[in-house]
Amino acid sequence: MTPRLNDMQLDALRELANIASGTAATALGQMLGQEVGLSVPVALALPLADAVDACGTAESLVSGVVIPLEGDIDGLVLLLIPAEHAAKLCELLGVQAGSEVGDSALCEIGNILGTAYLNGLSAMTGMTLGPRPPHLTTDMLGAIVASLLAETSGDSDAVLVLDSELDLQNDPCSITFLLLPSSGGVTGLLAPLGLAEME
Amino acid sequence: MTSVRMGEIAVACSAGEELVALGLGSCIGLTLIDRANGVAGLAHVVLPESRAGATEPGKFADLAVPELIARLRRAGATEGRLEAVLAGGAKMFELGSELDIGARNEAAVRSALSRARISVVAAATGGNRGRTVKVMPSEGTVTVREAGGETVTLLAAGRAGRAGRSAVAGART
Repeated sequence: MTPRLNDMQLDALRELANIASGTAATALGQMLGQEVGLSVPVALALPLADAVDACGTAESLVSGVVIPLEGDIDGLVLLLIPAEHAAKLCELLGVQAGSEVGDSALCEIGNILGTAYLNGLSAMTGMTLGPRPPHLTTDMLGAIVASLLAETSGDSDAVLVLDSELDLQNDPCSITFLLLPSSGGVTGLLAPLGLAEME
Repeated sequence: MTSVRMGEIAVACSAGEELVALGLGSCIGLTLIDRANGVAGLAHVVLPESRAGATEPGKFADLAVPELIARLRRAGATEGRLEAVLAGGAKMFELGSELDIGARNEAAVRSALSRARISVVAAATGGNRGRTVKVMPSEGTVTVREAGGETVTLLAAGRAGRAGRSAVAGART
């Protein structure tokens, strides 16, 4: 099934992402003791080939934290942190970047942000949504995003990407926050808003 | 340079042309090359098997191999001279629920190639690192680079590459 979404549906998904990532930004700000800025989220229904480019530069080195969803819809939350920003985050948390402790700190950030994001989504849609344990890898952005899209997209020739950017106010550090629902998951997100009818 | 993105196929035969698949994870970058004629093609395969009604042949191993062969023939390649080079098929995450799509992709590409009687002369597959593969058709070379690593020649002008597991992988087919 291909998610063909109209403007109203994309607007609704963008608003969901906005509120959910706002919850995540607040959680990150509390953890780090500084303001966290939030860009206006982007909701894109894209051909598979364009999806990686929409998330960033394919060959850039990033830390990716994957949080598979558990509950009413299938899909996953993905945090992408440029490698040098991941090192900055570790420094702010007082742990050594690239060490086992550093990696588990990044996973924990993923866990906290993912949980906050999903709580935001649950509150708006009334769905039961929770995070499964996070997984971290540091690699090429394209390799991370493409491998996950291969799993979530299935037979669809288009994918939905909900993309928000969190930026620390006092330090050069940005986190790209992606929700990649399975194609069934898109309908699941829209149904509680009365917008599930696809074109 | 032509970037071959998820599910895409490209063929090149002119001097100076390059085909590149950036950041392969579980996907397979499948190169077929006719070195005598300086013609090569690259498919960025995402999944092992198509279902009925699939519209993007490059996305699925079972459709990508015959499609790539057909396009190469149209570009002047001799089918009997085609050699295959594989890159990708990694397992990027240890997610409990995950079926190992990378390994299944590699197996599906290899079986489609063996049905077409094309040998795999070099491969950099498996593991858990992302890779970028670059093909220079007129020179007859294929190189691969892992995230944060050095560029390795899989297929050098005039002879098959011996990088990493390629010799073993080639012998299996």
